[in-house]
Amino acid sequence: MRRNPRIILFQCQFCLASSADQDWVEQHLPGHIKLVKVPCSGRISPLFIMNAFQKGADGVMVSGCLPEKCHYITSNMGARRQLDEFRDFLIFLGLEPERFKFVWMNISERGVIQKEISVFSAELKAMKPNTKFNTLKGEIIEQYHG
Amino acid sequence: MDDFGQVRKEAARILSEKKVDVVLGFKSGTIPLKAQPAFITSAKDANTLILDGFCQNNLAVFLHDLPKDKRIGFICRGCESRAVRALAIEHQVKRENLYLIGVPCSGILDWKKIQDEVEGPITSAVDNGKEIILEIHGEKQTLKRNAFLVDSCRTCTGIEPVGTDVIIGEVHLLDLDDDELPPTWAEEFEKHSPEERYQLFTEETDRCIRCYACREACPMCYCAECFVDHIMPRWSESMVTRGGTQAWHLIRAFHQTGRCVECGACERACPMDIKMTYMTDKLNADMKKKYGFEVGADDEKQPPFATITLDDKNRFVS
Repeated sequence: MRRNPRIILFQCQFCLASSADQDWVEQHLPGHIKLVKVPCSGRISPLFIMNAFQKGADGVMVSGCLPEKCHYITSNMGARRQLDEFRDFLIFLGLEPERFKFVWMNISERGVIQKEISVFSAELKAMKPNTKFNTLKGEIIEQYHG
Repeated sequence: MDDFGQVRKEAARILSEKKVDVVLGFKSGTIPLKAQPAFITSAKDANTLILDGFCQNNLAVFLHDLPKDKRIGFICRGCESRAVRALAIEHQVKRENLYLIGVPCSGILDWKKIQDEVEGPITSAVDNGKEIILEIHGEKQTLKRNAFLVDSCRTCTGIEPVGTDVIIGEVHLLDLDDDELPPTWAEEFEKHSPEERYQLFTEETDRCIRCYACREACPMCYCAECFVDHIMPRWSESMVTRGGTQAWHLIRAFHQTGRCVECGACERACPMDIKMTYMTDKLNADMKKKYGFEVGADDEKQPPFATITLDDKNRFVS
């Protein structure tokens, strides 16, 4: 039986307008998904993504607001310039494109994040555990991935 | 180079007229194949200035170390002039304190490759812009120049100095057509599959001894404290392990996105011959493709990561 992939979800605190969705993300996330709630997607430094992969994440998902819908007006655009390029850069150096995903949430939609997470989870489950870019020692990797 | 006499005269002139306090350039080193940076403060020393293919450094790296009120004359090639522009945009140097003397560049030569090519100790080396004349055991040996150019000079697109006060000499593109040169590392790298690319990247970074010579040689790496030296809190896991070294190379390159002047000083400074310009070149190419930004093309435009606009909003929503 394959283990569940380890996923880090970076979530902008304003991107889920419905409190039902926000409650689900905060309280009912499956155990293999870790939530990192940030004030805005502009808070996410590419180094955060790097750290996640270094510590053995199989996939990273970033959820943020659509352009022009940002609580801080243009902050998400700054984040996207960097994160988008960082994704391209990691792919250039050999990361599988499936492992790093953005979801841009429209605040008028409901139940999107659940769908996105289950699709992402299933995609990663079909792949091998990520061994690229991580800093873990050999035995710990075995323990995680075994 | 006859033109270079003019440059020496100009350097002597600005020093004697007290236009600048110091002139930055190169003088010949104590051993062949290597030139060293020179800080000329009096007009009579201006005769020691040289410029040839053995001048490895990007001298713009010294600009932000010198006192901010000092007036500096700077003999700059294309990449160095771009670095000055980029530094001025980021408010690291004051352009009005600089006097830039643009000079034509004939490309930088890889002295390690030259040393490997010949047998025996090289007692003198002359680069006249067309060929390299070496002296080994008292015998003259001539080498073709193009085969020893460093990768970043072979792929150089901005050989003409930009934003200079004066350009002395005739700037012309490097003539690389008549030789069959092997493909550069970057061209090879892109052809591989993702797995092989990661493998190649790992092979390169595994040799790293973490001396940070690449950082010190880079004109755009001027942070007082680098992310990799910052321990509490740690920005990134960057210990001397495989993953940590990968993170260092990856993030050093990423911090140069839209800022790297593509001079290749990092690669030339590396004692372990680690290839790294392929990463920054890729990032810069992306910036050009996505945002139409070129380093050193403009006196005003901030790098793409420093500017936030809603103009490109449609590019993100897929």
